[in-house]
Order: sequence, then structure tokens, then C-alpha cells
Amino acid sequence: MSIDLSIITNYGPQLLLGFWMTIKIVVGAIILGMPFGLVLALGRRSRLAIIRFFATSFIEVFRNTPFIIQVFMLFYVLPFYGLHLPAEYVGVVALAAFGSAYFAEVIRGGIDAVAKGQLESARATGMSDWQAMRYIILPQTLPIILPAMTNQTLSLVKESAILSTITVGELTMAAITVQGETFRPFEAFIMVALLYWALNETLAIIMRRVERKVSRRTSSSSRAKVVRAAPAATEG
Amino acid sequence: MAAGSETKHNFLEMTEIRKSFGDMTVLHDVSLSVSQGEVICIIGPSGCGKSTFLRTANWLTPADGGEVRLAGELVGGVPDARSVSTQTKELNALRARVGMVFQNFNVWPHLSVLENVVCPQMVVAKRRRGEAEKQALAALAEVGLDDKKSEWPDNLSGGQKQRLAIARVLAMDPVLVLMDEPTSALDPELVSGVLNVLKRLAQKGMTMIIVTHELGFASSVADRVVFMEEGRIVEEGAPDVILQTPKTERLKLFLEKLNITAFKPNSDSAGHPTMDSGS
Repeated sequence: MSIDLSIITNYGPQLLLGFWMTIKIVVGAIILGMPFGLVLALGRRSRLAIIRFFATSFIEVFRNTPFIIQVFMLFYVLPFYGLHLPAEYVGVVALAAFGSAYFAEVIRGGIDAVAKGQLESARATGMSDWQAMRYIILPQTLPIILPAMTNQTLSLVKESAILSTITVGELTMAAITVQGETFRPFEAFIMVALLYWALNETLAIIMRRVERKVSRRTSSSSRAKVVRAAPAATEG
Repeated sequence: MAAGSETKHNFLEMTEIRKSFGDMTVLHDVSLSVSQGEVICIIGPSGCGKSTFLRTANWLTPADGGEVRLAGELVGGVPDARSVSTQTKELNALRARVGMVFQNFNVWPHLSVLENVVCPQMVVAKRRRGEAEKQALAALAEVGLDDKKSEWPDNLSGGQKQRLAIARVLAMDPVLVLMDEPTSALDPELVSGVLNVLKRLAQKGMTMIIVTHELGFASSVADRVVFMEEGRIVEEGAPDVILQTPKTERLKLFLEKLNITAFKPNSDSAGHPTMDSGS
């Protein structure tokens, strides 16, 4: 099969428009989903049973049902109750809800991984639960959860392709349109695959930088390594 | 080590504290009252409930029965007529004045040595940074860590970590300090540095309750030694009386067991073999 490069030049702008929509939706979903994931994670630890119940239920429902069904529920079922939202909005909300359930579990795991004595010593100084979380526990959680949070973010980018099924004009939707007009599936989908790959690779590189920065700032072990390595470097 | 004319009896009043974990009762209506400026050492075999008892003093472990009062104010009690939010608020305010030092140090690894001491002052005591840093440096100097202020806690030795934890407590100007086996997790050669800091605090009239296995330290520093076994206070009194002339068979057995391993009751230093080696 020969590659028809004219498709890239002719339909490239259309695909890039879809790519831009994908970026906007994923960024929106992260901006909504990460803080909400934190709220869910803290909700699961609440002293109030009712809050624990809602947080746990939300997480379990969104983790244990297919994303495409969640999208359909929001897109096709909500209008029956008089709520008509544009497909892009539904897309952002659905992706954020789905993502927040996973973010919540990652954050919860990170909080649990911080030694119990850390919370006790914070509480013993007179900090409230929230102050102890804010100043003592969560800062220690961050370097622990970053790798897993990166993974979840990369999967959100890939899951966003599902939104093509509810007519969101994102990257996969654009690819389907291009292949429908040109009958050249290879060119259309290989370009789209490359664009997803480029987006995720960029995200992964940025997050690795952030991880290094955070672990350098918060953990002395990496810092100690730098200090120890210094004399060796001058010898060699 | 009483604080002169200001000595106030029943400064800390713990009344009939009861605590169970599941089916096991670890504290059977234990009562203890502490005067201002008094240093109390609680000794006893592992699992006797001494740590749990100490942890009910600031309600970090809420008791199932009894009550704790500090200078007349209710720290915690069962039953407690206050609303949950009032309890939490008043408890946090009290804890700001009651320091606690843990066996495992529990310094905060994501904060520098200085910030460990600054953080609770700003967050809890609402001090400005300038004042908090001044206090922090004074507290660090007190425990001999002023030259380590920019270090990360992970680069400190165990003894230094514990002294940092003590500085964090001191900077809050506590009226009472609770210590849960402050030297038990330390390498032997680091114990004396921490004990020296505690001795100085005692000499300055700090009210302290210290759960410890260091009998030599207890005999030289404590105003009163409390011996606990199986969730009860078996004997209490002046250290020389308790440690030299135990009345009960159980305390005799406990002291004999420790005697065989380490304790020299007539040693006139603090009793710890490496007391002056520093750390």
C-alpha cells in the first residue's frame, strides 16, 4: 500500500483542529478531575459516614463500569430529564468524572503510604485534620503519587477517543471523517495515532521533569545522592 | 524540680482512665495527678499500657472512660457534654500547649530542620514567620542543632532527629511535655545526647511525663516514678524509694530483670554508661 501524502496536506488542518479539541477536552478533564479526585479521596476518609458512602459509591461506579456506557448515560439519558448539554461539555464532564475516580484511588494510596506517625505528630501539635493534611501529609503524598498520576493522565488522553461516539469533534472523530471522505484509512489513522503518541510522549516528558523536581525538593535521599556524587565527579 | 511558689497541685489531672482494644482492656481506671513543674517517669514491662496511658493525656488515643483535665480545662472525657466540633476545637487549642515526643521521632521529612520547627508555630500558634524563625532558632540552639537548620531530617542521626522533635515541641512554649519512650529507638551511643537535653528541661522546671526504660535517667531526673503493670499503677513514689526499696513483688521482679541486663541502681551518674560521650 502506497502512502498518499496529499491526504496529509489536504486534510492535515482538519486533523489538527480535532487534535486541538482533544487537548482542550483532556486539559479540562484534568483541571476538573484532579481536584475532584482529591475531594473524593478525602471524602473516603471523612468522619461522617454519609460523606464516606457517597465518595466510595462514586468511585466504585465510575471505576467498575465501561467509560463508553458512562458517556452514553450522560449524553443520551440526561436530555430525558431536560438537561441538554453540548457534546463537548458532556465529553469534558464524563472524562473528568471517570478520571477523578482513578485519581482518587491513586491519591488515597499515596496518603496511606505516608507513615501513620506523621499524621499523629501533626495532630499532637494541635493541627486540625485539614491542617495536618494540607501541611504535613499531602506534601509527602505528592512525590509518591506522581508516577501513577502520570499514567492515569495518559490513559485519559487515550480514553478521550471514546468521545467520538457522541459526535465530539475531537481527533478520532476527525480521523473517521477524513477516512470517510477519502477512503484512505491508513493515512488517516496513522496520522491520528502519531498525534496521540506525540501528545502522550510530551506529557510523559513534562511529568518526568516535574517528578524529578518534586523528589529533589521533598526527599533528601536524592539530594544526598547528589552531594555524595559530587566528590567522585571531581576525582574522575 | 517544683517551680517554687507557682507550684500548682493537680495541674494535670487524669481520672479513672479506662481503655480497651477489642476484648482486651489495656487500662483499668488509671488515675494520675501531676503538679506544675513535676517530672514523672512511667516505667513498666512492654505491653503494660504505659504508652497508651500517656497517649490519653492529650487524647491522641481517646479513652473509653474517665477524664483528663489540664489546669482545670477538660482535655477529653467520657461522657463529654460538648458538641463534637467544640471538643475538636478546644482539644486542638490544648494540644498547642502540650508537646509530645514520639519513640519514632516523627519528624517531617519534607520540611527542612528549621521548617519542622517553624511550621506548627505558624499553622497552629499563628505566629508570623519572623517570630517563628526566631523561636525556632532558639529552640534548635537549646537542643544543639542550630548548625543543622538547613539540613533535611533524613540526613540527621536518630539522636539528632529526636532532638529536632524536642525543639519542635519547645518552640510552641508548652506547659506540659509528654514523651513516649524518647530513647528506645536510638542506637546506644546516641541516647545520652537526648537524655542530656531532657535533663536540662527538667532543671528548667518543665512539667514532663516520660515513659522510659532508662532507669538511671529516671532515678536522677524524676520527681516521681510510676510503675505500671497490666494496665494498672502498681507503685508510685520518689525515685530512690521506688527503685531502691520496691514494696511489691512485681516491681522487685521487674527491677531485677533490668538489673541483670543494664541498670546499676547505685551509680551516681544518670546511670547510662555512655552519658558523657555526646552524640
